[in-house]
Amino acid sequence: MSIEKQVDPGRRGLLVATCAAGGVAGLATAGAFVSTFQPSERAKAAGAPVEADISDLKPGSMKIFEWRGKPVWVLKRTPEMMASLAKTESEVADPNSEKTYQMPLPEYCKNQHRSREEHKDFLVVVGICSHLGCSPGQKFQAGAQPSLPDNWQGGFLCPCHGSTFDLAARVFKNKPAPDNLDVPPHMYLSDTKILIGKDEKGEA
Amino acid sequence: MAFVEKKLPADAPIAAKALNWVDSRFPLTKLWNDQWGQYYAPKNFNFWYIFGSLAMLVLVLQIVTGIFLVMHYKPDATLAFASVETTIMRDVPWGWLVRYMHSTGASAFFIIIYLHMTRGLMYGSYRKPRELIWLFGVGIFLCLMGEAFFGYLLPWGQMSYWGAQVIVNLFGAIPFIGPDLSLWIRGDYVVSDATLNRFFSFHVIAIPLVLLGLVAAHLIALHEVGSSNPDGIEVKDHLGPDGHPLDSIPSHPYYSVHDIFGVTVFLLVFSAIIFFAPEMGGYFLEYNNFIPADSLKTPPHIAPVWYFTPYYSILRATTSQFVYALMAGVVAYVGLIVFKTKLSSLIKTAVMVGGAVALVALDVFEAKFFGVVLMGVSVMILAALPWLDQSPVKSIRYRPSWHKLVYIVFGIAFLILGYLGIKPPTDARTQVAQVCTFIYFGFFMLMPWWSAMGTFKPVPTRVTFHAH
Amino acid sequence: MNLLKKLIALLTLLPALALASEEGYPLDHAPERTKDLAAVQHGAKLFVNYCLNCHSASSMRYNRLRDIGLTEDQIKANLLFTTDKVGGLMTVAMTPKDGKEWFGAAPPDLSVIARAKSSESGTGPDWLYTYMRTFYKDDSRPTGWNNMVFPNVGMPHVFWELQGTQNAVYTDEKDAEGKVEHKFDHFEMIKAGKLSKLEYDTSVADLVGYLEWMGEPTQGLRHQLGGWVLMFLGVLVFLTWRLNASYWKEIK
Repeated sequence: MSIEKQVDPGRRGLLVATCAAGGVAGLATAGAFVSTFQPSERAKAAGAPVEADISDLKPGSMKIFEWRGKPVWVLKRTPEMMASLAKTESEVADPNSEKTYQMPLPEYCKNQHRSREEHKDFLVVVGICSHLGCSPGQKFQAGAQPSLPDNWQGGFLCPCHGSTFDLAARVFKNKPAPDNLDVPPHMYLSDTKILIGKDEKGEA
Repeated sequence: MAFVEKKLPADAPIAAKALNWVDSRFPLTKLWNDQWGQYYAPKNFNFWYIFGSLAMLVLVLQIVTGIFLVMHYKPDATLAFASVETTIMRDVPWGWLVRYMHSTGASAFFIIIYLHMTRGLMYGSYRKPRELIWLFGVGIFLCLMGEAFFGYLLPWGQMSYWGAQVIVNLFGAIPFIGPDLSLWIRGDYVVSDATLNRFFSFHVIAIPLVLLGLVAAHLIALHEVGSSNPDGIEVKDHLGPDGHPLDSIPSHPYYSVHDIFGVTVFLLVFSAIIFFAPEMGGYFLEYNNFIPADSLKTPPHIAPVWYFTPYYSILRATTSQFVYALMAGVVAYVGLIVFKTKLSSLIKTAVMVGGAVALVALDVFEAKFFGVVLMGVSVMILAALPWLDQSPVKSIRYRPSWHKLVYIVFGIAFLILGYLGIKPPTDARTQVAQVCTFIYFGFFMLMPWWSAMGTFKPVPTRVTFHAH
Repeated sequence: MNLLKKLIALLTLLPALALASEEGYPLDHAPERTKDLAAVQHGAKLFVNYCLNCHSASSMRYNRLRDIGLTEDQIKANLLFTTDKVGGLMTVAMTPKDGKEWFGAAPPDLSVIARAKSSESGTGPDWLYTYMRTFYKDDSRPTGWNNMVFPNVGMPHVFWELQGTQNAVYTDEKDAEGKVEHKFDHFEMIKAGKLSKLEYDTSVADLVGYLEWMGEPTQGLRHQLGGWVLMFLGVLVFLTWRLNASYWKEIK
């Protein structure tokens, strides 16, 4: 019994062709399986935009809505709260929101108050701290308090690792959290209804 | 012994050095060579020898698709059906493909295993010294049937539910302990969420682990004695100067490319079914299973899945009338052993006592119980094959030609039993099933006699091989 | 030897003895519609308007209707009846308990009904197509309607305004043994509906086409993909066959 040791060119060609074709088949199949990890239609349906009714929102108070499983804060800011934003400008790490946490800042919120011009006083942000994902608590009252500086103008304090945010949800300097809180795409269906998760460009 | 690592020359490729490092600590190359690379197998394997490799492929396929299905399936009686029909089939991207691969794979597994066993029957693959390979194989077959049965409950359709109900109630037919046993298996008074949860555990982890162990044992036993071949010759009787059998070739590259070819042909057929006929006329995906389980309403036509039907037929054929035929069979068989064998008088006495006990039992216990017994025996009798077969030659090729007819008759009887199992029973069908049951058991139980009868053909010393 | 051959011949004939014909009203063949998007859209409209009050289709998402050529806005404007979210499932308010009380049996979920109704007598669509066209007036039933394919069904004839009201006409025949057989002969239209027979049959075909599509929305993709997969595997079979031959030619 003899077995040839040389690989003739015909066989090599077949080997290459077979391996290539087999590789394509393997990749295609693997691709289908890997795709099953993608969000399902159910997850996508559950992630649909949410209508937020703000008709009963009083100045200085905040409502929390759920969108994609996360808390979305809608805070109706008082004139004093709006004024505080100028004072905290020099103390926040990223006053112009140049950095992004998980969602790029929508064009219409690229301003100091991080809200739409027609509804300046309404702050709409995702209430998830950009450090490790806890939900900061409300600290709207100005003045010295435990864990807060003496010149506290009002804002948010994250209980997990002490990050603080001003009333435009911008993170203060030297805090564990690196970025300002996210502003989700949103639009006003009317003066009393915000659609969270969708704007003129489409759905998030 | 001191640890010695082989030293490679300094300019050896890094891959070779890495392999050397591993080989000094783990028999990787040795394993590859012993199990495949340098595993010498007879060169005359034919079409029937592809099914072992295909069985391994389908096992891997079932496990991989199973892993992805379990990511979305919910083993809860109120959620299971929707988790398949809404989540997997519609919401999960490509979920429908994974599901069809798994359901088609289950039926494919049984087709392959039946053909794999047919090969064993034809070529005497189970004969000495390969009895243990065969026994591990019977174990795998039993586990596979269990795996299929437990898995079938999971979609929680009408067939799932009522099929499970019927089969678990079979255990209720066992005298004395039956009803309690059924209750214990179900975990409830009827098939319910408790049953679903435990069957999920069996299907997803318990039996797959046992299956993997048995498959490993099956292959280790095979590699220990070496593969048989269609001529039934022991190739190791004629070794070449290099110590390998003259009629054998290394599995790599010859059976690597050979099996890859077989695999692609299989994948072609497999894909044709998945993409164009996943229901296969209601045999691979049963129509009734598109109805959510209803514990108050049994579908009018209930039958087990196609791969269980031959054994189911045997169960149904065992009516109270049939028990009389069985009694006659017992008497005849005992007579055969007592008068026509040269076994010791001790064994003959034991057989007579056993026969008497059987006759009493057949009289006392319900036919229902013996249906279960016969069904179980019809599977288990496969394990006795290495000892029932008394033919002086292994392969059908060198047996008297009429032996082929015996095998064909057996095969037809098996197929008829399978066909009848799908159909609702009628008197005529039951009679046919009873005849076929006798043929089925006769094939095995009379084998010690018929397998040695006739004029055998001379067995060649070297394998018959035609160059490709 | 001859005896054995005779035995085998007999054995192979035995199954013929065991065959029996299936009973039931003969099913008509449902016209193929699943590839006709306009027909399936029409069927969707009929489904949502006539069926989705009592029957749920809880595996079907409204936004899946995009696959038959509708936009989300079209779906929201015309078809979103039981929910306000286009990503929602076609569930209904009626509970199975209520359904059982009001109709005798809970109206089954229709998501995969076209697959469930298949049998040896015909495909699921055949069953549905024949079912929807063989309702007839029967004052002995609580709903006043009975059905040829599903005798004593609890469902009323929801399409009676479209099809019209028909009676089942029987004949009494003497069979071979002299017994009188009360057999169904034909339907008789006693009050015409808004649609002609042809129009009604077409509408039912459209509805059945929709139900068949809804039973497996990926069916079209499955067939398409299957064509490519088989062609590709055909090439792979050829390559591996030649590769195998190239190695085995050295084995003597």
